Amino acid sequence: MDKLNPLFARLNKFPRAALIVICLFVALGTFAPWLAPQDPSAQNLLEGSAGPSAAHWLGTDHLGRDTLSRLIIAANTSLVSVGSVLIIAMTIGILMGTIAGYHRGWVDDLLMRVVDVGLSVPSLIVALAVIGIVGPGYWTMVLALALAWWPMSGRISRAVAVSIMSKPHIEALRVLGASPWRIYFGHLLPGTIGAVMVYATADAGTAALAVATLSFLGLGIQPPTPEWGQMLVDALPYLESDPRQVILPGLALTAAVIGFNTLGEAIALNRIPKPLTRRMLAIRRIEVAGWGKENSDA
Amino acid sequence: MIHFISKRLKHSLVLLFLASVVCFTLVVSAPGNVAVLIAELRGAVAVPGYVAQVAEEIGLNKPLLMRYVDWLGDAVTGDFGISYRTGQAVSADLPQRMMVTGTLIAGSALIATLLSLLLGFLGAFWPYKLPDRVSRGLALIGASTPTFFVGALMIYGFSVTFQLFPSFGFNGPISWVLPWLTVAVLPAAVLSRVVRVGLEEAMTSPYVLTAKSKGLGRTAILFREALPNITPVFINALGTQVGLMTATGIIVEPLFAWQGVGDYFLAGVRFRDFMVVQACLLIFLTFFIVVNLVVDLAVLMTDPRIRRQWS
Repeated sequence: MDKLNPLFARLNKFPRAALIVICLFVALGTFAPWLAPQDPSAQNLLEGSAGPSAAHWLGTDHLGRDTLSRLIIAANTSLVSVGSVLIIAMTIGILMGTIAGYHRGWVDDLLMRVVDVGLSVPSLIVALAVIGIVGPGYWTMVLALALAWWPMSGRISRAVAVSIMSKPHIEALRVLGASPWRIYFGHLLPGTIGAVMVYATADAGTAALAVATLSFLGLGIQPPTPEWGQMLVDALPYLESDPRQVILPGLALTAAVIGFNTLGEAIALNRIPKPLTRRMLAIRRIEVAGWGKENSDA
Repeated sequence: MIHFISKRLKHSLVLLFLASVVCFTLVVSAPGNVAVLIAELRGAVAVPGYVAQVAEEIGLNKPLLMRYVDWLGDAVTGDFGISYRTGQAVSADLPQRMMVTGTLIAGSALIATLLSLLLGFLGAFWPYKLPDRVSRGLALIGASTPTFFVGALMIYGFSVTFQLFPSFGFNGPISWVLPWLTVAVLPAAVLSRVVRVGLEEAMTSPYVLTAKSKGLGRTAILFREALPNITPVFINALGTQVGLMTATGIIVEPLFAWQGVGDYFLAGVRFRDFMVVQACLLIFLTFFIVVNLVVDLAVLMTDPRIRRQWS
């Protein structure tokens, strides 16, 4: 319990609205199969494009499927794919970053050039190029997004690894005769993973957006599996007669992304040491705003 | 100055070379036999003899380096090979498509610049007051709303409900408005934060204190002292956003039935038409490199500190 107290203290500093949205998203995603009131793929053409009623709280889509159930199941789809993307991307990124941070020298230079190039090309274009070569499919989408995503965690974990390697206890370990393996797996890797995990949570919003975008383009999650982006594109031809089916999944996705983005900004700001003056806050913010453009002077 | 420019130019040329290598390897490493694809495309059943003939014809039997040189030579002169899907030259309507995408990016960049300056200045003028909170909220919503959702809302609001602008097509400025606005939302949101934060940072610096002590008003300080100071930062961020607009274009162009490069790229990806994917990718990467070069030069022009450093 004592170990958890600092965690709670940290959580208290985060914006409450963002935490609520994220908890809701994760809870919905995890328990979706039990929460959905109806079968999300049960069609009923006679009740197609119906408005809200007691049976269908948010109405039905053009095939008469219950929209509320589909929205809830879509949270599950989104959560699972975002989770897989981030886990794969972070594994690659942390490995590359810690190796670069441990060795320095030409290994570091080479890996960081690759990261720079990866960061300077929009992730959507990288992901689409991979899908275009390998062919569409669920796992292609996950791998393509992971390939587009790892440079970010690679850069962060490299920075963390460099700072850990310069700490005195690593030097003490060296003097004591600890093997490189022990330093790497016992001290460098665990320390880096912890720090990068926090950033990954903040990144989950953009990853969810990317999954939805690919699904919207028809290259991600395929029907009939409900997914917000795919539900939106599905309902787009009926925009004039039934805009609700376009707006609801869009709003759900936007709410999730806003939650994660707010959390991300809070995490970035939370890392400043106290006391926190307004000037330092401004400087920190510029740094955060400049993250995207760092690569332009590579 | 000249030293700086030549250094950046060399840097860009190296990047261009790397980009071409990436595009080339991507297609070479693609699974499946290209010769079989082309043989089938020409209507013949893929008989082994014919496949071998096709392979010979398109130079598949040459060493990789030779193939790269051949391909690059063709690409530089605007010949991107033959589309696997249609059997026609990839470059047939590329100039037209590049013009469409160029129109999209140019208009959106202009709108995003104006909107972000407006929002950012509103926030900086009344910091932590209502206008600042509103601009901050708009930025958060704008940066978090998926582009395809923005596009759908634009069509529903301005085209279905109010019938102000056409919902698709590329005919005249009236039909350009909705795609421009759709693409501009995200960069405007991000850039407005850059402006707002940059202005706040500038307002705490010593030269602003000097200006204040000289008796200058807040408006004068913001426009005369702070604005020139955030210009380089803003141009840098704008460059990144313009690069990102190519990606947004991939989503927005099909939505509004624009025949641009993004639309072409997406079609290539859908039908696994490697030659189209390769050509569009090369165009995108070249565009990023050129934008970066232009941004560097623009920063050099607007930032006397960097200019002095290099002269």
